[in-house]
Amino acid sequence: MRHGMKSTMAVVCVATLASTAASAEQQVDRTIDAEADSYIEIYNTSGEIEVIGWSKNQVSVKGTLDDDVEELVLERDGKDILIRVKVPHRHHGNVDANLVISVPEKSSIEVSAVSADITVSGILGKQALETVSGDVETTTAGNDVDAGSVSGDVDVTGNGKPADFEAATVSGDLTLTNLAGRVDAESVSGDVEIIGGVFDDVYLESVNGDLEFHGELADGGDLSMESVNGTIDIVFARDPSARFDIETFNGSIRNCFGPKPERTSRYSPGLELSFTVGDGDSHVSVETLNGSVNICNQ
Amino acid sequence: MTDREDKLMRAARGLATGISPARDLWPGIEQAISAPRKSRWSPMLAQAAAAVLLVGASSLVTYVAVKYDAGDTPAQVMTAAAPQGLIFDRAAFGGEDTLAAVYGRAGGNIGSMLDRELASLSPEAREDVERNLAVIRRAIEEIATALEKEPDNVFLQELLVEAYSNELALMNRIGSMAQRVMARRDI
Repeated sequence: MRHGMKSTMAVVCVATLASTAASAEQQVDRTIDAEADSYIEIYNTSGEIEVIGWSKNQVSVKGTLDDDVEELVLERDGKDILIRVKVPHRHHGNVDANLVISVPEKSSIEVSAVSADITVSGILGKQALETVSGDVETTTAGNDVDAGSVSGDVDVTGNGKPADFEAATVSGDLTLTNLAGRVDAESVSGDVEIIGGVFDDVYLESVNGDLEFHGELADGGDLSMESVNGTIDIVFARDPSARFDIETFNGSIRNCFGPKPERTSRYSPGLELSFTVGDGDSHVSVETLNGSVNICNQ
Repeated sequence: MTDREDKLMRAARGLATGISPARDLWPGIEQAISAPRKSRWSPMLAQAAAAVLLVGASSLVTYVAVKYDAGDTPAQVMTAAAPQGLIFDRAAFGGEDTLAAVYGRAGGNIGSMLDRELASLSPEAREDVERNLAVIRRAIEEIATALEKEPDNVFLQELLVEAYSNELALMNRIGSMAQRVMARRDI
């Protein structure tokens, strides 16, 4: 009994020490001057990164760093600014840094992380955001965005102005809201969803995830969706003027625009469907191995 | 027959017709057979060969991707891309598909880079990547199975090329993603 009590106390002591060590952190609050249209690179292995665009010509970094963080690098070379959380070589386990970084709103940013969430708002320049096991959430005001995560979700919300958008996940879901222009979005097992917007060129691809397009195609626009096992849903916000080419090897095709699909062969379950709505200015191409395809308008 | 030839013939007739190996010869032969074969490949040679294979396979993959975008069918592209003497027939997209060998080589090399990068990720992230690579590989098997039934199906050929490209792209992307953050620790 006494032995059991000693063991328990030892465990409590070790746990307390571990918790004290884990919670040990340092505050950071640093500011440097910057150009209005700076190019800002941010590297943080673990924790959280929030980037906010503001009207000042300054870069401010506030937050907390684990005691194991070696250094917070904040350097400027003309328009280029580097913010980097430096961790010791060969450190085992996560070394967290939770940062709120305010930058001139016209800046372009590049954020790279491993296991950190990335949140961005108020940035008018280009954005390149990449993390391995965190979520990415950003708003954009009509400039290019390239966002990716392995296991996290990616959410990009625009203001309807056209730009180039690229997004990719491995298992996370992709949600692209109110964008326009060109979109290239891919996932392995995550779902990809486009909600709203008028597009010139859209390419959506998945292996096992579902693909959804709820939007409009501009005249001469191109919508291409490919999946191996995912369901493909297309809902046009207004009647399209497009030529459709749809093919599945093993999935069904449901089409609200009239024509019925035909079997590709007497000996296999494959279906194909080609038809034109209106003048056929745009092109819609859909391919799937086992997924079903639904095409309709609102 | 010259004198010299005559002399040689007589000497030959005098030779024994049966030759018995010395009694101590067999253990040496046995040892030579059972001993592990020494590889002709030194580690450096093997690495050089791997590099050549990677460059070749990658070039082929790039060529296929570029030509494939240009509108040729994957089968046409693979046939055009093949070196002289290497024939890609229709079975190239069946169960024994040649693409598997080409991508396999490229993937194998990228895979070793990926393994190094995966080691630097959390167990959860590592598991997630491996699970999704398995998803792609299952998809490749499904498409290959469908192609065994319909080797001429261009739609399935396209899907197979894309699935292989996805696998390589994912491996490459994960490797470079982790590397980008980790590699700059020296700043």
